[in-house]
Amino acid sequence: MNAYYAINLLIYAAVDAMACLGLNQQFGVSGVTNFGFIIFQAAGGYAAAILALPPDTANGGFQSYLGGWQLPFPLPWLGAAAAGGLVALPFAFLFGRRLRGDFAAVGLLVTAVLLNLLVTNYRPFLNGDAGLSLIPTPLRGNNMFSVEPLSYEWGYTVGTIALCALAYLFVRRITESPYGRSLRAMRDNDAVADSLGKNLLSMRTAMLVTGGAIAGLSGGILVSYITTWSPAAWGYAETVVLFAAVIIGGAGNHVGAILGAILVPVGFEEVTRYIPSSNNLPPNLIPSLEWVAIGVLIIVFLWARPQGILPERKRVIRPPFASLEDTAAGKGVADRAAAGWRSSRPATSVVPEARPGDGAGASRYARSSPGRPAPPPPGSVAGSTPGATLRDVAPGTTMAGGSGAGTGSVVLEAVGLTREFGGVRAVDSVSFVVRKGTLTGLIGPNGAGKSTLLAMLAGTLPATSGKVLYLGNDVTALPAFRRARMGLVRTFQLASEFKRLTVTENLVSSVQGNRGDSFRGALAGRWYWRSDEDAAVTRAEALLERFGLAEYANTYAGELSGGQRRLVEIMRALMAQPRMLLLDEPMAGVHPRLARRIGNELIALCAEGMTILMVEHELAIMDEFADPVVVMAEGRVLAEGTMEQLRGRQEVVEAYLVG
Amino acid sequence: MSVFVASIGFGLVTAAVLAIAAVGFTLQFGVTDVLNLAFGAIMILGAFLAYLVNSHGVSVWLGLLLAIAVCSVVSVLINSVVYTPFQRRGASPITLVIVSLGMTLIIEFGVEAVAGGIPVSYTMGSGPTYQAGGLILTGVQLIIMAIAVVTMVGVHVLLRYTKLGKAMRATAANRNLARNCGIRTGRVITTTWALTGALCGLAGTVFAIDAGSFDATSTDVFLVLILAAVFLGGPGQPYGAMLGALVIGLATEVSAAFIPADYKYVTAFVVLLIMLGVRPAGLLGERQ
Repeated sequence: MNAYYAINLLIYAAVDAMACLGLNQQFGVSGVTNFGFIIFQAAGGYAAAILALPPDTANGGFQSYLGGWQLPFPLPWLGAAAAGGLVALPFAFLFGRRLRGDFAAVGLLVTAVLLNLLVTNYRPFLNGDAGLSLIPTPLRGNNMFSVEPLSYEWGYTVGTIALCALAYLFVRRITESPYGRSLRAMRDNDAVADSLGKNLLSMRTAMLVTGGAIAGLSGGILVSYITTWSPAAWGYAETVVLFAAVIIGGAGNHVGAILGAILVPVGFEEVTRYIPSSNNLPPNLIPSLEWVAIGVLIIVFLWARPQGILPERKRVIRPPFASLEDTAAGKGVADRAAAGWRSSRPATSVVPEARPGDGAGASRYARSSPGRPAPPPPGSVAGSTPGATLRDVAPGTTMAGGSGAGTGSVVLEAVGLTREFGGVRAVDSVSFVVRKGTLTGLIGPNGAGKSTLLAMLAGTLPATSGKVLYLGNDVTALPAFRRARMGLVRTFQLASEFKRLTVTENLVSSVQGNRGDSFRGALAGRWYWRSDEDAAVTRAEALLERFGLAEYANTYAGELSGGQRRLVEIMRALMAQPRMLLLDEPMAGVHPRLARRIGNELIALCAEGMTILMVEHELAIMDEFADPVVVMAEGRVLAEGTMEQLRGRQEVVEAYLVG
Repeated sequence: MSVFVASIGFGLVTAAVLAIAAVGFTLQFGVTDVLNLAFGAIMILGAFLAYLVNSHGVSVWLGLLLAIAVCSVVSVLINSVVYTPFQRRGASPITLVIVSLGMTLIIEFGVEAVAGGIPVSYTMGSGPTYQAGGLILTGVQLIIMAIAVVTMVGVHVLLRYTKLGKAMRATAANRNLARNCGIRTGRVITTTWALTGALCGLAGTVFAIDAGSFDATSTDVFLVLILAAVFLGGPGQPYGAMLGALVIGLATEVSAAFIPADYKYVTAFVVLLIMLGVRPAGLLGERQ
């Protein structure tokens, strides 16, 4: 094999692999579908070029461009990465609004098409259509590799592959951290991630910039090697090629992204090289057919193997103490829990290990077993949330006091809350309070506005007018994720599990204040967040056993039955250690025996000081567990009281009969 | 001043072509819920079919009819073979957009593979030139505008006064509810693909007539104009698309009188991004 050929192949492969890694981090891991991705690579290419080139009057001024700073080697490449990241920043604007994913994607695609058009037509900026050429190759002048022929090129190849490997380690570090789990949660269901305290805009911006910087660096490396760069090299369709590579390789799997880069952009180029060039063929036939083949591959893969050649790896989380016990014993525990669940576990001992008044939300679910890592002290978790500054916090002090319904302090208050949908008042100036330690029910016929009300309380839906007071603070203007971080957590009426996260991951994903659940924390590495993670996993394990789902700990949530998914959702909400839980029909579609069990658990939680507002249709459930109960009909609060009182009231009965 | 008035003439012609395409695109999206980015590629397929006929000495207006028929059939086929199976499986809107981009590559470069990468033009006269108050328009341009007006009126009548139009609007508003009310939504959707595919073929051919010369990738940028018109009026809103087409068509051509013609599409681009960022439901769309 020709050495030049091999060098070219390796450099192109490494550059494409880097770009695919950046795209995979955005698209495969975080669900940010960026059809303008190629712009970042283009920006990096141009940045490296104008940083390294001499002023455009050199070489007889045959090309014109900005810059021309003649900077020494590492700077053009650093500039390329920076340019890619900076160009990505304004793109966050499109994701800032609650834009349908496909609309945002269209916006990015259009941006790519038109930026290309602009650069093509405006010559003074980056030499227009003709593009830049004679771009200096780094360190070439120093002749430091000139001992043997091609030694410079081989050095360049090794350097490129090394940088590609660095990029791989970088994205893997992010993806395999708690922050990466949040990114994947956002990908699977962004509205739910929002309601669990994930800052979507911040995560999307971070991913746009990260992917952009990687793509920019890849562009810089490529341009420095081929020494030219023109708009024809970064048409919008190039983005589609990279998407094809990631989809075919395996979206969400970084090794898959590298494989895809080798198969699609590199592979296609190489295979067509071996098609005998006949003079009878039209000149454009082979390249055109290449594009057709890429289109076909995209559709065929999305249909037949959407997970790609190398599917996203399942993150099997072992409990931190598993290594100490032998696996058989561990399995035994799970079996026992599962068996006890189905048969005859006494309903009275729902919270055997709970010690009301013993501090704390955080230790609430911890099994008292020596040798296990202790869960974090409650203060460390609660104290890191904004909620700690609110009145009426003091976890542990009033926890055990929630004995009498209707006597506790007000946790949540709606004041004249109204929501209009195109002139229809779905919720019409609703005012009521939820007191601490109660399980307040919310009932009403279909279309009464219960779910809308719940969404406004949680911040998933903005209120048209009125106020939401939480722990005495006006939170009406706060987005859902901020309210969640203050301990106001909701569940959804429809199944809302993160499908491609395991059950354990679903649970752990909602834990607040994990040190690894930030970009910087993720970069700091495993040692930095390990203890937080272990504590969270321990709590998840305990909760799974308590609810009898231990045997499904490492099953993808999307593979569970409907009732199990509801359980996962409730457990996930509990993992967030909410002060106030908003449950939207948690028992819908759940086996009645299981529903009663959930009800008992909820009552136990309320006894420990949690406050719950629950929408539910099943009146028997309300009879048994909820006190007080608020009745809504046609957007208004009709009545409030115990179920017994409500049954005696004519208008309530009528509302149900009519509704 | 005369440049300005003349540019209004160009703007009206562009708006006419754009209106046909944008109304087709927005109806397609509204009723079927597929953001079919392959619309531009199917347009160019129609344009080349008309060229195929035209290059054998047949009038381009007959080619236009062929383009309408074939694009209609192709659209129905793409929907039933590709989009509907994906939708049935519960694929996300974004997956469908990626699929439609794949379709774009297949159709656009399939056309290029057959037709070659060289720009072509129809053999046709441009007709007598008419002049009125500074507006200079050729007979062909007037015909294009007349076609657009007739099409818009036709769409209006269809949506307002026919049972099919009502069924289409009902399906667009709430597919499940429409089905429960006894509307055969499957049939409505197939019919919509046929109709909007026909509009697509029509738009592709008049686009090619208006452009003079074209190649397989000519509609890449025109698709941006279509999207701008659609999002300006509000996705899924046929009357919004008509308004959007008029605004975008005039804005691009009139701005070309003042800035270099190469940048005239920037206007459309800015409009589209502002609409996406500020009011994705469009001017005529309901606020969320």
